[in-house]
Order: sequence, then C-alpha cells, then structure tokens
Amino acid sequence: MDGMSPSERVTENLRRKIRKLLPGFILPVLILVLWHIFSGSTMLPGPERVFGVLSHPARDLLSCGSLFWNTGVSLIRVVLGLFIAILLGTPMGFIMGASERFRRFTSVITELARPLSPIALLPLSIIIFKDTSFTEVFGLTELKYTKNILNELQIGMVFILAWGGIFPVILETMHGVRGVRKVYIEAARVLGAGRLFIFRHVLFPASLPDIFAGYRMAVGRCWMVIIAAEMLPGTNSGIGYLLRYSYQLSRLDVMLACIFIIALIGLVFSRGLELAGEKWLLLRVRER
Amino acid sequence: MSLSLTRLEKFYKDQSGKSFGVLGPIDLRVETGEFLCLLGPTGCGKTTLLRILSGLEKPDSGEIFLLPGRLGYVFQQGALFPWMNVESNVMFPLKATGITGSECRSRAGELLNLVGLHEFRKSFPHELSGGMQQRTALARGLVTEPELLLLDEPFASLDTRTGINLQEMLRSLCGRLSTTVIFVTHNIEEAVYLADRIVVMGHRPGRIVRNEPLNLEWPRSRLSSGFTEVLLSFRQTFEELVDPSATLSF
Repeated sequence: MDGMSPSERVTENLRRKIRKLLPGFILPVLILVLWHIFSGSTMLPGPERVFGVLSHPARDLLSCGSLFWNTGVSLIRVVLGLFIAILLGTPMGFIMGASERFRRFTSVITELARPLSPIALLPLSIIIFKDTSFTEVFGLTELKYTKNILNELQIGMVFILAWGGIFPVILETMHGVRGVRKVYIEAARVLGAGRLFIFRHVLFPASLPDIFAGYRMAVGRCWMVIIAAEMLPGTNSGIGYLLRYSYQLSRLDVMLACIFIIALIGLVFSRGLELAGEKWLLLRVRER
Repeated sequence: MSLSLTRLEKFYKDQSGKSFGVLGPIDLRVETGEFLCLLGPTGCGKTTLLRILSGLEKPDSGEIFLLPGRLGYVFQQGALFPWMNVESNVMFPLKATGITGSECRSRAGELLNLVGLHEFRKSFPHELSGGMQQRTALARGLVTEPELLLLDEPFASLDTRTGINLQEMLRSLCGRLSTTVIFVTHNIEEAVYLADRIVVMGHRPGRIVRNEPLNLEWPRSRLSSGFTEVLLSFRQTFEELVDPSATLSF
C-alpha cells in the first residue's frame, strides 16, 4: 500500500472488507429467491409481504400495538432485568472469586439454581408478583390507565430476566477473579498495597475481560428468555407476545416479521457488545 | 545492622504428608546500605528466603529481625501489570501507600528519567523489550526509596549485554539511594560484579555454604585479574555443591 494517500488507504481497506463479507450474503439472497418462487404455491406469505409489514414499523398490528412499541417493550424489560443482574451479580461474583469461604458458603445454592431455566420460574413468579407493574410499585397510579411503557414492565417478567442474566455474570466474574495470576497479587502486596487497593486496582482490572464476557452471555440469555416468556401467559405486550398472537390469528406475515426483528436485535446485541468490549478485550492480547 | 536472621527454617509437606526441609537453619546478618548477593543453584531455596523476608511466606521456625521501613521488590519476570502503562506501573507503589497527585507523578517521572524510560512512560509493558520491562520493574521497586530492596533473579531472562547494562544501572541507583539490597541470582559473574558480599547457598535443605565480603574496588572491571580470581574461587565453591536429588543412582 505504498504511495497511497490516507483517504485512498481507507477506501482500499473498505473495499477489502466488503470483498471479505460478500460471500456470506450469497446464501441469504438465495434463500430469499427460493422463498419468493415457492411462496406462491403454499400458504407461506412471500418476502414482499413480510417486507410490507417491516416497512411500516409504527403501524398498529392485530390491535396489539406497532412493531416499534412491542420491540420497545421487550427491550426495556431486558435492559431493566440485565441492569439488576449486573448490579447484583458483579459484586457477588467478585466476592465469590476473592473469598474461598464465601464461595463455599454459596456453592450449593448457586450450583442448584444455575441450571434451572428461568422459564420454569415464570408460573411461580406470576403467582408471587401477579401482574404488578413498576407503575404500581412506584405509586404512579394515574399512569395506570394510559398507554404507557412503564405499565408493561411487570415485576415478574423483570425478575425472571434478572434470574436468567445473573448466573453468567456471577460465574464469569468469579472465574475472572480466580484466574488473576498470583504473581500480580503478590507483586501488589510486597509493593505495599492493602486488601481494598488490590481489589480495586489489581483484581478488578485484571478480570475485566471475563466480567465483560459474562455480560455478553447474560445479554444473549436474557434476549432468549424474554421471547419465550412473552409467549406464555402473564403479559399482553412485547415482541414475543405479538409473535404468539400472530400465530393464533394465522397471520404468518406478522409472525415472520417478528422473527426477523428478534434475530436482528440478537445480532445487534452480540456484535455491538463485542465491538464495545474490544477496547477491554485487548487486555487479553497484552497479557500474552 | 538492618536485618538479621536466626536459625530460620522452612518445611514443605509432600503429598504423603511427609515434611522435608527446604530452608535452613539459616543465620545471616545484613548491614545497612550493604549490597548482598544470594548466590546458589536453582532450587536451593533462595527465592523462598526472599519471599519470607518480604512477608509473602512465613517461616516455620527461627527469628527475623528487620528494621521497619519501606520495601521494594523486583520479580524474576517483572510482574508488571499488563493493563497499566509504564508510568502507572511505576506509580503503583506510591499510590498504594497513599502518595497521590503531583508528588506521585513527579517522583515516578524522576525514576523513569533515571532508568531512561521517560519517553516510553505511556507505553504498555507488552510494547517494550525485555530489558525495558525490567528497567520499568526496577523503577517500580525503587520509586518509594525503600530501605530494603529485594530482587529475585531480575536479569535472568535477558541476554548478557542487556544484563550487564542493567547491572551497572542497578548498582549506581542503589548507591545513590543508599538502599540495603538483597539480590538473588544463580549467575556467578553477576554476583561478583554487583555484590559487597556474597552468600553462597547449597541444596536441600537450603543452607549457607560460604559467606564472604568481596575486596574488589569500584568501578569493577570484568576483565581485571582480581575479578577473575574471585570469580574462579566462587566457581570452585559451586563445583563442590551437590544436589542429592540430581545425582544418578545405578
């Protein structure tokens, strides 16, 4: 790449990137073409009808709100559940990683609770929390009879999301802290650092890549859990609910649009976090 | 006197629960400002001794008398924190002991100047050569102006020429700060070049087999006849050391 101006180099890099990505699009395009050809002879709606649904995301569908609204509801549930999972899970995993005694104390309960599918807890959480939403918890009753996104934030839903997200966070954080090379801790000790200083300036930065990996896993899990949970009783909004409702009304165009959006958001979550984390994941490279 | 050890002993237990001695009994005195080299083959317990002195391990019996004061420690492979740049690594011991802000920065800057790394202060350890990493580790060990500096084979992984440069640098830095130094090495030439006094350790359990001040003038030349003579004499001591676990039995 000698003798190129910086702008030429950028376009050259871009061209290369496109050339690398291009083969990946062959199959999806092929599927779209086949789908279009065969949709005429089956009950499956063609891609153009699904695109018709996707191209009006703010339009009300099946009188359960628009794609925007339902996606927003699912997203805000996930964000809140994740927030709680991270807020509780990170310190818990950190202490479990740092203290052998605490790890033993919590080992049985975490081992039992970890493999339990959050979906299995849905009926129980409906019994416990009913359909109480955050508007009622915070006493915002005047909002209750308006169409407000806070009305859709049922505590039970957020509870199972937090449940689904907290274990990857706890376990990865714990592994990260336990995996910090002993020589760093010893170096810090002999150089005069106290316990808290070591926690904050050695254990935490050294395990940050693992902690972040835990967050990524939690996001993926929560997105799967919310879709499944919304398809079950206990709510009447969210992209999963819309998906299930479109099944009951045999509206396959809406159903396929929902599936597409679920996949797209899953992709944005995992790629976005990967890119954001690269800054920290560089630590891994440094250590080698 | 800055440090004295009386009948210091350390045991380890193997899997069957049988305990065997790794160290001692050891008696040793180190004077203030002295540069002491602990010389011995791998596995003779010199690192264990250093770890006991730094408080990372506890002895099983014996007494340690140590003047209270700041401690510096330089590890074999630097043990620099890979997520911190050079300057932050050097500032770490200051921050850990509550020195922050401009004083912290200026003292770290001073040390980085002395080891010639000031322009690399924003680099990360993995971007540096082995010699530069060890210079960073030296700066980190000396930044608090410790009363006692412990070094565990700090130059063992470097090539000869880089090692020699760093030996000269270490000697002049320690002379300047009048630090008491205990330097662990298995390299006889390194010990003869650096030390005011050499303590040779033997195997299993680690014990002192020779303890002798060097009567070599400063600056020392590795090519002088006096140097070679001392070197040969310590090589002779080394030849006579036998590790019972490393001998073949037919």
